[in-house]
Amino acid sequence: MTEIHIDDIEPGSCIGTLDKGVVTTSHIMRWSAAVENFHRIHYDYRFATDHDKLPDVLINGSWKQHVLVQLVKDSLGPGGWLWKIKFRYRKMDVAGDSIRARAEVVDKQIVEGMGFVTLRVVLTDQNDQISTAGYAVGVLPVRGGAPVPYPFVAKPEYSVVQLPADD
Amino acid sequence: MEGAEISPEDFAKYTGVAGSPKLSPTPLDRDALRRFVQAIMDRDPLYYDEAHAKGTKYGGLVAPPLYPVHAFRTPPDGPDPLDALRYNPDADGSAGNDGVYFGLEPIRSPFKRLLNGGNEIEFYRCLAVGERCVAKARYADVRLKQGKSGAILLVTIETEFRSENGELLVINRQTLIWR
Repeated sequence: MTEIHIDDIEPGSCIGTLDKGVVTTSHIMRWSAAVENFHRIHYDYRFATDHDKLPDVLINGSWKQHVLVQLVKDSLGPGGWLWKIKFRYRKMDVAGDSIRARAEVVDKQIVEGMGFVTLRVVLTDQNDQISTAGYAVGVLPVRGGAPVPYPFVAKPEYSVVQLPADD
Repeated sequence: MEGAEISPEDFAKYTGVAGSPKLSPTPLDRDALRRFVQAIMDRDPLYYDEAHAKGTKYGGLVAPPLYPVHAFRTPPDGPDPLDALRYNPDADGSAGNDGVYFGLEPIRSPFKRLLNGGNEIEFYRCLAVGERCVAKARYADVRLKQGKSGAILLVTIETEFRSENGELLVINRQTLIWR
């Protein structure tokens, strides 16, 4: 993967996309088993629709959050670090929905020789309807500067870098 | 509390209440990690290719950044989360949503319906293969509010996840909405 520097980042540009494709009941079952989440709204159609009056079994919000995290992690490249993310669930996604994510650059700044990029992150379905949306702050090196430390240490000076307020 | 009048004071007392630290029952092993990354469909070799991972800043295999929130699976000698389904056909299978509370005492309230109001998360380092993690949760904010269709209870739980030697991994602030 290519090293990305804060110098390369253009506000207003799309920094990354991630397409997970159609999420079937089998994908939901695999996630529920992997994390031992046995809530029936995710795999028991009759329970989801008759008991909880949902349109179908739901794609787990806990799964969707990892899509956003992966999106930002991959977009920042191996030298970057996802420091902060926040998101809200705006609508349910159900089995059969196609899940895509994208990250757009809202702002960038350099603090104490370290680059910070603020991203708008969204998860959409096959109709381009947003189901999950929020913001993230990624850390990137300045070209010719120090690498982003790992583990990441939030210096007090970095407190000027804030996640934007909710929409 | 069922049927009783409720007031903001009933819930304000929870703000700041912390649970006891909770240790993940097992260290992160490669097979659990394999199943996890297959489920999130992330093929980053950092999660399975030891030679590759050793050459990165991580120095070895690690889990995805947000993995620690899922590290607290049922221990083999713990209560079976599916037991309730034997006796109650309407049980939802969640066994009390312990994946949210991380050792906090759930708040007693007359509200029945739970919605996830979103998350705000900070990342500092990833859990490495062979490590266990420790979760410490507290009620950061508990507020009764009047919504459009009646009272709602807004609960923000802040959970710090650290390695066993105390290194900060993740801080997860999750807002729950009870209706």
